[in-house]
Amino acid sequence: MHSNNAQMLVLTVLADGPLHGYAINTAIESLSGTKLGPGSLYGALSRLETHGLIRPADEANDPGQRHRTMQITDAGRNLLRTELQQMARVSSAGLHALGVDPA
Amino acid sequence: MRAARLLAGLYPPAVRERWGQDLCREVQATGLRSWPDTLAGAARLWFHPADWPETSTGQTRRVLTVTLFVIASATVLLLRTGSPAVTVTTDIGHPLTSLWLAPLLVGTVLATPLPPLRIAALCRLLVVMVRLLAVPVAQVGILFVLARNGILARATGWVDAALTLYYWLTLASVALCLCMLVARVVRAAAAPAARRLSAALLYLGGGLALAAGQRLLAVICGAAGFGVIVQTVMLGLLAAMALSTGQDLRKKAAPAG
Repeated sequence: MHSNNAQMLVLTVLADGPLHGYAINTAIESLSGTKLGPGSLYGALSRLETHGLIRPADEANDPGQRHRTMQITDAGRNLLRTELQQMARVSSAGLHALGVDPA
Repeated sequence: MRAARLLAGLYPPAVRERWGQDLCREVQATGLRSWPDTLAGAARLWFHPADWPETSTGQTRRVLTVTLFVIASATVLLLRTGSPAVTVTTDIGHPLTSLWLAPLLVGTVLATPLPPLRIAALCRLLVVMVRLLAVPVAQVGILFVLARNGILARATGWVDAALTLYYWLTLASVALCLCMLVARVVRAAAAPAARRLSAALLYLGGGLALAAGQRLLAVICGAAGFGVIVQTVMLGLLAAMALSTGQDLRKKAAPAG
């Protein structure tokens, strides 16, 4: 899966509430029907955390702890909102061009 | 579990420290079909150091400094594997075909960590240096004695094979110990600044791209065998890694100043 798509999926499932790595992938499977590969999932988590879009749910957590629960940040929510609105516009225009009622 | 650990071990240290255990469990749970994605994920992250979370200050720069020396060492070993090509030389007498070496050397010099100027720290580094380099220096010394006595030239059969193996082990040992030394020095000294390191990687990548291009010229002219083609591809990959990493680090360093 494309790394940007993986990041969007992670942000989308985290918008619902904090989750740890395995639970994030399970939520992605429920949402999209496919799990992310380990490289795509942890690559996306690493990128999103480095760019301040997600952060550990408990800041005091040891980075090496068994399960790191992550939550979306305000910057992550803003980015997700912008991207989803853009996708909705594209989706609506595409469905309209195909003669399908978006509703 | 061993395969999962091995795959997780291919990730950059910062990512490994942060997500290594989860990654390991996920690879183990998913099995063999997750290996290609795990490998691709590791490669993507190595090409993009701006995506590494820093678990300690300067960690990214320290890791990239060592990576640069690993790439330079791999280049030397790679070029030793094939017979010399007329399009790629390391000879002042042939400046045009040896041009690729200049940016590579500039990159290596730029990335060299400067040891701290304190007597106690310098003494500690000297001890580390002696411990690390004693074996490769002895190996090179034995090789020198063998060459001086004409044993290398006269050897045949299994003796020749054993001496060839010894030669390669010596080269690999020197490369490994030098990279380990850089890793130890960069831990004790201040790692090169992000801009300097980015320039170093771009110079190194430029030199490698030039060498790959020159090797390609030999392939196009038909003056090269399969070995040179493999060398060209490998040099191209190392060049791509150095250039992409340098470019990504430059982007990361840009907002800071």
